[in-house]
Amino acid sequence: MNHPRIRSAGIVLVVGLLGAFLAAILWGAVSLPLVQTLQVLMNPGTPISNLPPELRRVYSIIWHIRLPRAVVAATAGAALALSGASIQGLFRNPLASPDVLGISAGSSLGAVIAIASGFSAIHPLGISLGAFGGSVFAALVVYSISTQPGGTHLLYLVLAGLAVSSLLSGLVSGVLIMTQEYALSQFFFWTMGGMEGASWSRVLPPLPFMGIAMVILLALSQPLNLLSLGEEQAFSLGVSPEKLKLIILITASTLTALAVAVAGPIGFVGLMIPHGIRLLTGPNHRSLLPLSALGGATFLLVADLIGRTLIAPREIKTGIITSLIGGPYFIYLILRHRKGGLV
Amino acid sequence: MKTRGLIAEEVHYTIAEGNKSLLRSVHVQIQPGELIGLIGPNGAGKSTLMKILLGFLQPTDGVVSLDSHPLVKLSAKQRAQSIAYMGQQGPGAFPFTAVEIVEMGTYPVLGTGKQPGKTERAAAMDALNYVGMGDFAQRNFLTLSGGEKQLVLFARVLVQNTPYILLDEPTANLDLGHETQLLQMSRELCKEGKGIMIAMHNLNSAAEFCDRLILLDRGELVAQGTPREVLTQKRVEQYYHTHARVGINESTGSITVTPVPQIQTQQGFKVHIIGGAGSSVTLTRLFHLQGIPMTGGVAHELDSDAKLWKALGIPYLEVPAFSEITEDVYGKAKNFVDEADLVILCSFPFGRGNVGNLELASYAALGNKLIILSTHTGTCERGFYLPHIDNLYRKIEQENPPLDLEQALEQVRNKISVKLN
Repeated sequence: MNHPRIRSAGIVLVVGLLGAFLAAILWGAVSLPLVQTLQVLMNPGTPISNLPPELRRVYSIIWHIRLPRAVVAATAGAALALSGASIQGLFRNPLASPDVLGISAGSSLGAVIAIASGFSAIHPLGISLGAFGGSVFAALVVYSISTQPGGTHLLYLVLAGLAVSSLLSGLVSGVLIMTQEYALSQFFFWTMGGMEGASWSRVLPPLPFMGIAMVILLALSQPLNLLSLGEEQAFSLGVSPEKLKLIILITASTLTALAVAVAGPIGFVGLMIPHGIRLLTGPNHRSLLPLSALGGATFLLVADLIGRTLIAPREIKTGIITSLIGGPYFIYLILRHRKGGLV
Repeated sequence: MKTRGLIAEEVHYTIAEGNKSLLRSVHVQIQPGELIGLIGPNGAGKSTLMKILLGFLQPTDGVVSLDSHPLVKLSAKQRAQSIAYMGQQGPGAFPFTAVEIVEMGTYPVLGTGKQPGKTERAAAMDALNYVGMGDFAQRNFLTLSGGEKQLVLFARVLVQNTPYILLDEPTANLDLGHETQLLQMSRELCKEGKGIMIAMHNLNSAAEFCDRLILLDRGELVAQGTPREVLTQKRVEQYYHTHARVGINESTGSITVTPVPQIQTQQGFKVHIIGGAGSSVTLTRLFHLQGIPMTGGVAHELDSDAKLWKALGIPYLEVPAFSEITEDVYGKAKNFVDEADLVILCSFPFGRGNVGNLELASYAALGNKLIILSTHTGTCERGFYLPHIDNLYRKIEQENPPLDLEQALEQVRNKISVKLN
């Protein structure tokens, strides 16, 4: 990162992320005093009984409600933006997203099956597991349709993704018709995406896997750059395009599936954040990937914060906030494209 | 003993779809220090052969080896440090800067873990300056012209610094100057001991710059050798399906290939051209393209008029350089004039050697078929080195006022329509 603009963007985003994280802990339906919050955060291991009474309430809010929720928002945001940027690089198309692999439709089907079968009532992670399983299943189907011995054709991947998504969406509606009303509303609520009720038990299990996937994608940034030269020229520089495609597709779809499992289907982050970062600091994946992860984390923290403070104590689902920002942003992109500008 | 070179032995390449055979027992080798031109019509299999030599495509049958090692046994890194490749496309979606593209050539040495730093940036800048694109370093690659993009991609190949280089139509979008520049740079790389294969369509440049040419047609190697051995008129016409003239460029000594337009010739009409000293070249070419049958003469040997008439298969008369027109030749020239419907006198100086031509014109004037071209139509003035020649010319000029090319052509057309209708 030798470019001054990239360095300043990095600094701004790191500071922004820390600020958003702190804000996510301080503010909410109940605002917490800064000094007490810092005291609690500085002494993580202290048993609650040892704390002075005035700190006990703050401690509970922070450790059981706000902190796990902030961690979910930050990791899900980073995961969505990072896998979005990687998939765009792989497809050499700034408008691609992990959704081309059918991940949204797959996670919806998994979630609706978990709800309708009653699995979500038995197991606290029921919907998450269902969503994750559905995403991975959809991605596998799409990938195997579009792969032949010679390699994976990216156009077939997009077409297969569309076809499979449409099929799975049909199945989702089919299942919904046969379910009880409570299941219908539970699913509908889930599709709006949100971090409410985030608990350590929901947050911690996927974290190490998300961490590994992020490290893999970040390590592949230079090969992704080379891929933009076209597959032959990337190959001539020592990159194996087929291996790279396989690794990035598996890693990015797993990462997205995990993010959807913990935070629900949150749209536009994977598309919008890498785009914005690319406009600011250029297309070099060596800076684009880490900055997108930082940007995604900050953005989702802020979106969640807005969602739960705007009409507190009621909450607006995070997915609604991101869509309200993402939709107009997408329209802006189309208009820019139409003007003949380069994105 | 270890054989040096990048060698494809008897490679076949068949695509599964429709069992279509793209290459059939093609055997080629690139030796260090030589520049090979890969030529052939569109769809001959040039790009496929390049991708097989690169190892990107696996031959259905046959082996590619690099300095006696099978290419498939090499690691990706070893391969990338040995063979560079420039394809027909570059980045199409993301606005990388030119210097970032060039820097990508350092990947085989740096590997996945390391990031291009100051040294790599300096090497990339050197390469950009070398190809004359230094001022474009920070420009968005997508906004460059086709030719500029190709020079940037060529700079990337330079940075990769490999003993073997495959260039797939690197000159496709280049103007003559930049094409020559790129081929010149390739020659210099060969002098440093690199082996280069370059696919291209411009046969003249290929003949001028390459040590060897390989001609592919519909997946088969049909000829290889020096440009003179490969580029025969028969082969060019057979494989490129066009009429062409293969000759030798007199100023460079290399082979020239010139396409020849197919022309419907006018029957039952003929023009005789009196030229010399290159004065009739423009007119001859103009009439040739119009399909007007011609005879020519009397020229002096080595006049470019005589060479052109010979090349175009036009009946003509000539006498040895600096000698006078003999009775015998003059008699034959009169026969040409008699057979002609019109006679055109081009603009050239008269002296003792060619006064016969002026007499020929005056003979044509008697038959009322002479056209005199004005002096600005030729490459030289109409001078007179003997007084009585001047007088003779003035006399016929009075009856036949000089015309320019357009007017002469107009008069020829009128005469044709009068005669043939």
